[in-house]
Amino acid sequence: MNRRELLRKTLCATAGSAMFTALGGKLQLAHAAVKSGRVLDGVDYRALVCVFLYGGNDSFNMLVPRDTPHYNVYATGRGGLAIPQGDLLPLTSLNAASDGGLYGLHPSMAGLQGLFGSGRAALVSNVGPLLAPITKTQYQNGSVPVPAQLFSHSDQQVLWQTPQAATANRRGWGGRLADLFSSTNPNQQLSMNISLAGENIFQAGESVVPYFVSTDGAEGFNFVTQPWEQERRQTFLALRDASYAHPLQRQYASVVRRAMDNEVMVNAALSGAAPLTTAFPDTYLGRQLRMVARLISARGALQMQRQIFFVGVGGYDTHDNQLTDHTNLLAELSGGLQAFYSATVEMGLEDSITSFTASDFGRTLSINGDGTDHGWGGHQIVVGGAVRGQRYYGQFPNLTVEGPDDAGWGQIIPTTSVDQYAATLARWYGLPDSDRSMVFPNLGNFATPDLGFMNPPV
Amino acid sequence: MNTERPSSRWSAASGWTRQALLALGMLSAWPALAQDFLFSSGFDEPPEGPHTAAEAARFLTQATFGPTFEEIEHLRSIGYNAWFAEQLAAPSTLHLPYLYNLQSQGIEVYQNARQEAWWNGALAGQDQLRQRVAYALSQILVVSDQSGAIEGTPKGMAHYYDLLVAQAFGNYRQLLEDVTLHPVMGNYLSMFKNQKPDPVENIRPDENYAREIMQLFSVGLIQLNADGTPVLVNGLPVPSYDQTTIRGFAHVFTGWNWANCPRTNGGQPWEWQWCPIGPVPWPEPGWDIGWELPMQEWESYHAVDDTKQLLSYPGVSLPGGVLPAGGLARGNLELALDNVFGHPNVGPFLSYRLIQRLVSSNPSPQYVGRVAAVFNNNGQGVRGDLGATVRAVLMDPEARQLATPASGRGKLREPLLRVTQAWRALHASTGDGRYRAWNPEYSLAQAALRSPTVFNFYLPDFQPTGELSNLNLVAPEFQIMTDTYAARVLNGLGGNVYWSWIGNGGDPEDIRVNLAPGMALANNPSALVDYYSLLFTYRSMSESMFQTLVNHVSNISAGNDDGRRRRVQDTIWLIQSSPEYAIER
Repeated sequence: MNRRELLRKTLCATAGSAMFTALGGKLQLAHAAVKSGRVLDGVDYRALVCVFLYGGNDSFNMLVPRDTPHYNVYATGRGGLAIPQGDLLPLTSLNAASDGGLYGLHPSMAGLQGLFGSGRAALVSNVGPLLAPITKTQYQNGSVPVPAQLFSHSDQQVLWQTPQAATANRRGWGGRLADLFSSTNPNQQLSMNISLAGENIFQAGESVVPYFVSTDGAEGFNFVTQPWEQERRQTFLALRDASYAHPLQRQYASVVRRAMDNEVMVNAALSGAAPLTTAFPDTYLGRQLRMVARLISARGALQMQRQIFFVGVGGYDTHDNQLTDHTNLLAELSGGLQAFYSATVEMGLEDSITSFTASDFGRTLSINGDGTDHGWGGHQIVVGGAVRGQRYYGQFPNLTVEGPDDAGWGQIIPTTSVDQYAATLARWYGLPDSDRSMVFPNLGNFATPDLGFMNPPV
Repeated sequence: MNTERPSSRWSAASGWTRQALLALGMLSAWPALAQDFLFSSGFDEPPEGPHTAAEAARFLTQATFGPTFEEIEHLRSIGYNAWFAEQLAAPSTLHLPYLYNLQSQGIEVYQNARQEAWWNGALAGQDQLRQRVAYALSQILVVSDQSGAIEGTPKGMAHYYDLLVAQAFGNYRQLLEDVTLHPVMGNYLSMFKNQKPDPVENIRPDENYAREIMQLFSVGLIQLNADGTPVLVNGLPVPSYDQTTIRGFAHVFTGWNWANCPRTNGGQPWEWQWCPIGPVPWPEPGWDIGWELPMQEWESYHAVDDTKQLLSYPGVSLPGGVLPAGGLARGNLELALDNVFGHPNVGPFLSYRLIQRLVSSNPSPQYVGRVAAVFNNNGQGVRGDLGATVRAVLMDPEARQLATPASGRGKLREPLLRVTQAWRALHASTGDGRYRAWNPEYSLAQAALRSPTVFNFYLPDFQPTGELSNLNLVAPEFQIMTDTYAARVLNGLGGNVYWSWIGNGGDPEDIRVNLAPGMALANNPSALVDYYSLLFTYRSMSESMFQTLVNHVSNISAGNDDGRRRRVQDTIWLIQSSPEYAIER
């Protein structure tokens, strides 16, 4: 018996595991709610775009206090990596920050500054994986449980992408939403979850498996498509579709089958869609988000009304050379988010599409010379026309070294859970409140299930 | 059939055997019955095996970058024992000399050159087992040129890879130390110039290497039993260490800088900060030699004053796993590496990963346990003997028995290994012997020392959603088999076979496969399919697949070279693109 089998057996009796089967029974209820008609501004389309910042974004250098008392606390912790106070791009918010401070953005994020100022972006502070609210004392004496393997890249990526990380059967919350909504799409062949950044847990559902495209679109199969290749194609298909006793062989065949079936459809739809005039930065993120926008622009031909996209950028694990590397990364992020929002406006879909960031963790306030280490909580960005923007949400942490929010070495204890952040987005997407606890089983441990940064569902 | 073959034995025996079987109506039993007709006589069979050509081909699929007809024959003639002895004695094919050789020809050396060197070792190296194990180690002790910290040093990275080649059969304790002190690893995981705490500046030691050497190179996050299954307490896994331990190691790994840093001013901060890579200024030869030398310690930057909590486990040498304050940077590092190496997880942790790279994604706990036992003690009381461990991986009954399809054992072939296998089996060559496959990642999502992060191209416990997840099977390689790469891999393989063959004109720098051995068999579809079935699937393909291919080939006219070539090309590519080939069992 291996680790997973053991985990599964041990968890079998818990409520978390039982919920998987319970959710299946509730699918019809959810669909009834969906089909009763949630049409935003006459457009029956809705998409979430997860922008995953792999490695752990140092968001304490992305969103920085700029009033002198708070800035001085920050600068003391950050030492040589502190962003100079005068370089911060000032934010003017409609609400007061929870700590009464004034905040600014990293100087490379003018695009995000504009989105925030125009009410299209919100900033959610100090989000991280939690099982329940926790204080420093509770963390230190172990009286409140925390997720396993905090601070590890691979584990915290999972914790951000699924609220059920403690179970053996890991399904992402984007995948669970897709399980609920995919039947809404007239097109039942193409997955409603599309990734531009490869495999991820976020989009994996019980029945929905994500589809993968590159920044150039879908990849064709070269040697079995031309008229003179038809005999080869027939043999190729006969081997692909034969009955296999080996489960890995079945898996291989099914991936090839899916890729071939979808490729022609997706590329035909892309080439038939009206070209976008919005210019995207020629960065990895920019190219991914451009393809997301192009796929959305082809939604008519693809017959898609509900979609969830995943894009990702690596390099955020800034243990060294942070001042240079992080500046470039945040410029890429800001430029990509801004261009993508413009594209949604161009398509007339800005109220139907919400993009949001996620990342392994924030980084330590303490530095190691020219970089920072793995932290816990961090700030996140939400962008879209349905966002109640130009506001801060959640509690800003106290950045005092060894202060009340410092778990040690400047690992900041989250004051908002990933579940709250995700559930707020999921509710806007259409997840009925009655199903919320099944997708987010720990949400009930927190006082506020909806952080309020999205306009209420119509 | 009167054709020329790489082996005279092959041409002598195959024709009539095949015809006789067909005449006897025994085709249905073909793969099992006729498996030895190629090499039916001419040498005494080694008692330990391999006993058939198929067995030899299967072993070579696991132990090398792919079987060739000649190597199958060679292994059959000398047996496993002599083959291991040969491989352990074979001189290492190294990367760095390859780069220096290019440089001496006035060619500027970038990461391209390092990829060339890798193909050279994988395709042409006589030390195939060593090369294959080094490649497996490169997916465990990961560094990557996707990191800005080391992308500019192809020579340093070649030197790092050579470390894995040279020590593929060495001791893991030594390898851990050499990897730890290599400046490429130092820069990749930022132990290089890691400094002791500075409370005034709120500077703490960098935790990066401390964390990953334990999580990814040795111990793993949770405590393991001797067979690699997790230790459970109240039904839950038990962490191997916590943040305190990571900080303990972070303090140990402080105070390391380029070799031969001048300290003529007594080791002033600016000397630490601006220490040059080599003893001479750029661009004089040798200016970057520091990339090829182990890092050296600076006591003044080592966290000597701190007590360091290291790993604690039954039988740990340091009481409670605590390294007391004091000591010197190098001595503390030695004690810390001893502390890591001594952890009972290391044997099962590393064994599981080596088995996954060489044999199977889902080994039984018994298999992991047998290999781990050899890692723990090679029979002469030595712990960490990689040569003995590798042999245990490959000679285990679970590795040597062909798994049944229903068992689910085996693995998805790595894309890169699908290409090395084809190029070796088909004797690919170029005009000048250089393999300019500089960016295999575009088609294959893989290239040597080019993974996205230190977590390699895929995780050891990756499970695709759906059936495999329900069956609780892991399948790491599926993590990179997205829709995009499902197509690109097959397109890449097809391009090699359909376009880039010897005789098709074109650029002498192209890597071209030799279709001549197949062409010589093209008039006999069964023999043709069998030939490539042996090289690519060690004759494990099902009877129905065999017959499907024979039927397909028979429908292609063999009246001229184009038709015969099409028969050969289709046979190869339809095997390469099939589910039965994709899953090596």
